[in-house]
Amino acid sequence: MADKDLSRRALLGAGATAFAAGTLSAPAVFAQPTTTLRCGFWDHWVPAGNGAIRELCAEWGQQNRVNVQVDFITSVGNQNLLTIAAQAQSRSGHDLLSFPTWEPAAKADLLEPVDDVMGRLIGKYGPVNDAAEYLGKIRGTWRAIPAVSGTQMKPACVRFDLMEQHAGIDIRAMWPAENRRGPGADSWNWDTFLAAAEKCHAAGVPFGMPMGSFTDAVDTTGAILASFGASMMDARGNVTVRGNAKLKTAVEYLVRLARFLPNDVWAWDDGANNRALISGRSALIFNPPSAWAVAKRDAPQVAEKCWTVPMPAGPEGRFVPYLPYFWGIWSFSRNKGPAKQLLEFLSERASAEKQTNTSNGYDIPPFSSMSDFPVWANEGPPVGTVYNYPLREHHNARASVAQAPAPAEFAVQAYQQALNTKVVARVNQGGETVDQALAWLERELNTIRRGG
Amino acid sequence: MAADGSLAGAALRRGAPNSLQRFARRRSSIAVLMTTPLLVIIIGLVAYPAVYAIYLSMLNRRMTEFVGTLNYEILLESETFWMVAFQSCFFAITAVLLKAMIGFWLAHMLHDIPDKGQRKWRGMLLVPWVIPPALSTLGWWWMFDPSYSSINWLLAVISVPEVPWLGHHWWARIAIIMVNVWIGAPFFMIMYLAALKSVPEQLYEAAAIDGATGFQRLRYVTLPMMANIISITVLFSLIVTFANYDIVRVLTNGGPRDLTHVFASYAFQVGILSGNIPRGAAVSLFMFPILAICAFFVLRSVVRRNKEQM
Amino acid sequence: MSATAMNRDVPGIYHKAGSLRAERRWALWVAYISLTVAAIIFLAPPFYMLITSLKGSAEIAGMTGSPWLVRSPTLENYVNIITSPMFQRFMLNSLVITACVVALTMVVSVLAAFALARMRFWGSQMLATGVFLTYLVPDTLLFIPLYQIVGGLGLLNSIWGLVLVYPTLTVPFCTWIMIGYFASIPKELDEAALIDGATWPQMLWKIFIPVALPGIIAATIFAFTVSWAAFVYPTAFVTTPDQMPLTIGVVSQLVRADTFAWGQIMAGALMAALPPVVIYAFLMDYYIAGLTAGATKG
Repeated sequence: MADKDLSRRALLGAGATAFAAGTLSAPAVFAQPTTTLRCGFWDHWVPAGNGAIRELCAEWGQQNRVNVQVDFITSVGNQNLLTIAAQAQSRSGHDLLSFPTWEPAAKADLLEPVDDVMGRLIGKYGPVNDAAEYLGKIRGTWRAIPAVSGTQMKPACVRFDLMEQHAGIDIRAMWPAENRRGPGADSWNWDTFLAAAEKCHAAGVPFGMPMGSFTDAVDTTGAILASFGASMMDARGNVTVRGNAKLKTAVEYLVRLARFLPNDVWAWDDGANNRALISGRSALIFNPPSAWAVAKRDAPQVAEKCWTVPMPAGPEGRFVPYLPYFWGIWSFSRNKGPAKQLLEFLSERASAEKQTNTSNGYDIPPFSSMSDFPVWANEGPPVGTVYNYPLREHHNARASVAQAPAPAEFAVQAYQQALNTKVVARVNQGGETVDQALAWLERELNTIRRGG
Repeated sequence: MAADGSLAGAALRRGAPNSLQRFARRRSSIAVLMTTPLLVIIIGLVAYPAVYAIYLSMLNRRMTEFVGTLNYEILLESETFWMVAFQSCFFAITAVLLKAMIGFWLAHMLHDIPDKGQRKWRGMLLVPWVIPPALSTLGWWWMFDPSYSSINWLLAVISVPEVPWLGHHWWARIAIIMVNVWIGAPFFMIMYLAALKSVPEQLYEAAAIDGATGFQRLRYVTLPMMANIISITVLFSLIVTFANYDIVRVLTNGGPRDLTHVFASYAFQVGILSGNIPRGAAVSLFMFPILAICAFFVLRSVVRRNKEQM
Repeated sequence: MSATAMNRDVPGIYHKAGSLRAERRWALWVAYISLTVAAIIFLAPPFYMLITSLKGSAEIAGMTGSPWLVRSPTLENYVNIITSPMFQRFMLNSLVITACVVALTMVVSVLAAFALARMRFWGSQMLATGVFLTYLVPDTLLFIPLYQIVGGLGLLNSIWGLVLVYPTLTVPFCTWIMIGYFASIPKELDEAALIDGATWPQMLWKIFIPVALPGIIAATIFAFTVSWAAFVYPTAFVTTPDQMPLTIGVVSQLVRADTFAWGQIMAGALMAALPPVVIYAFLMDYYIAGLTAGATKG
């Protein structure tokens, strides 16, 4: 991060490691490693983010005389989903991969159970957060290990200067970099947010909340629905759209909110909101600190005025969008033993802290016992900007997984098809009434149930 | 077609029926040997996959049981699919018409200027067609970016308000068509230029002496002479454009709200990304009837063309 | 062609020379204006890519002044991209795939075209039509079953899988234009050769290939362009960077949503587009001749 050139080279080298493996893995000084462990990790959005994984893998490989080959697979353009699909299809490829949100459940049959590793880790570090357990533990068996690298929250990253100037909210006073709520924190709800969105929109710096079909959009919308207590499908797979007053209220809110967003948010990808912030054209985005970290490098005058705060609260509580990654081992891997060892090593506290540190605090460890890393308090400028990025006691917030609590096989499709943003788009862009859009949603969900 | 019987004649002259038979046998066995690799490719990698696609499209999501036409039924009931069908047709027809008109116009313009300058202009105008489409589309994507759009910057200079290029579905559709026309118009231009050059100059002279106006010359001399090549290029381009994938993948990935998906990108989305291979196969098979009709007419035009030339 | 030139230079034969000349001059103006406008539009995107590739990240993020100008040009992006092992690997993959596919295509299509053009046998007509129809089958129709087939062969995520499937894109058209070229060679030539006792392979090698060389060059360029620019198959079949050719490599690996690698992306895209552009610059006439012949003559 400090060295521009270095980070850029790291970035470029990211995917290249497969063929440069020799230089990254154990230097074969003592003995020729006999095992080659092929790993596909999520390609980090924070410029220096891949460094930690690469170093940790090299370190572990050296200790264990295993040749660790590391690929970084980007989620841009859903390349990671393509990779997972292709490897599941051909039953070959990497030994272990990073799986986003719903993928461990979708590919559960092809994943090696990791109850042993999880048992040891939970014994050492205490329980894993609920959302990660819900997604990683399928029918009572852990199919993948909640990952540190890549796991993210998407709270609000606010341009505090613009927010104060146009909406009259002093966000830093409201959510200081301490374990307490500031003045006005209790009124940080969706109504306040809507008023602020309107003012910032009028001032030409609209909030950059994507409403397309990529994860940022789906996760954020999912959290807003959750804070209104709205869900589309229950845990048994019944569609709960018809006569669902909470869902209707939530969609109506989103429709109002979307009027104050830039007019092309319907097509934004996961990078568009970041670019809106970095270019100085947006007063608020929902994102992990990668946008801030890039701004620190390329647009420092913007980065200095960013402050991450929890999501606004809704009638049913405060929900923060949560996009966990999981490390899973393919059942067709021939190196399950070493793969488990490596993943256990990566999940240890020291390793987790290293990942979180190199990613400017981006990576959120799954164990709540690890939410005390000093990095979140120390990152800057401005110092404390990401203090409120991880869940903290005084936020009184919960992690939200979009499309929960639906059964995984349906949820994964509803998630990938971005049904929750599309329902809003049909009203705002398509000119339908909320009821028509909800009727459409019900039909789509039924189609998914029919063998999707 | 050029496969012909003249060689049999050549062989006949050599005399004895015995050797003739042997020769024929040898010739056809060599011929079969020579075409075997081609046959392997056509049968193994085109015909077989096509049949296999039909079989695949009748399986369930996990490919464990045969479900008949269920995938087709679900698709036909889904609104998204109809939007995809609409967008594919709209995109292909609009883009091909524009490409044909722009290509026709530019070919005429190129034909009008002195010969020595033509090469240079032709070279310049061919550039969009030479760059691999996925890569030039990447350039366009960056020009359309919501925050950094250089096109919007130019529009702002002449005080036109910002255009949500990829954000609103109609603008996104226009953007996709623009890029496709940009890539494909040079191809039409080249084909039409070649055809224009083959129109005998005497015809124009005769028309000019008869006092024909420019439009009349176009209507009664140029168009009839070029009719066949126009229909071949248009139909051919219709096939290619209808089945296009690169532009949609790079520019919009189908968004906003799946309204810019075409058959190919939707099949990719459903079949490979969401892991429902049978449904994806069904989506792409919907392209088949339209492509088959176009292919039939292309083939007819080509055959007619060959007959004319013989 | 010469007639055109003559008419332009010697308009005197027409009695309405004056008005005709005025019309001509006006037409010429229209032509140049249209061509200039078209050239500006056609060249603007590559120009903008070039401009972006010469900017540093901070300048791109800065958004001050015209994005169409570069204030502090730097070759940093090109240096980074050329020295990046990932990009080198893309380049290498593209070269290997393209070389294999072009060689394979030319062998298959020249042999088959010769047999179909000159050696009539049972079903040869039908096969020639079949070849043309195959050429009309787009890759997007078949990528899903091929995904299964390639997967079944264990060639997903491997450049060899691409070498296997690319010929479906190149062979039909190349065979088709080679049939056209071979058919245009006078039959007296091969009769004479046969009487001299030449075998069929000798005839192909000694007579047909040298005579049809322009066609072979055109077909080779076509095969090269198609395999260099292929996008659907690599997107579907290749997922890790070490097996990716340039097109999908640049599109999927260099686009780092928010890290402002834009200069680098554009540099990469331009470098990847360079080989076909260079080939066209030198061999454009052959290719155009082959292409127009292919689509018109058959």
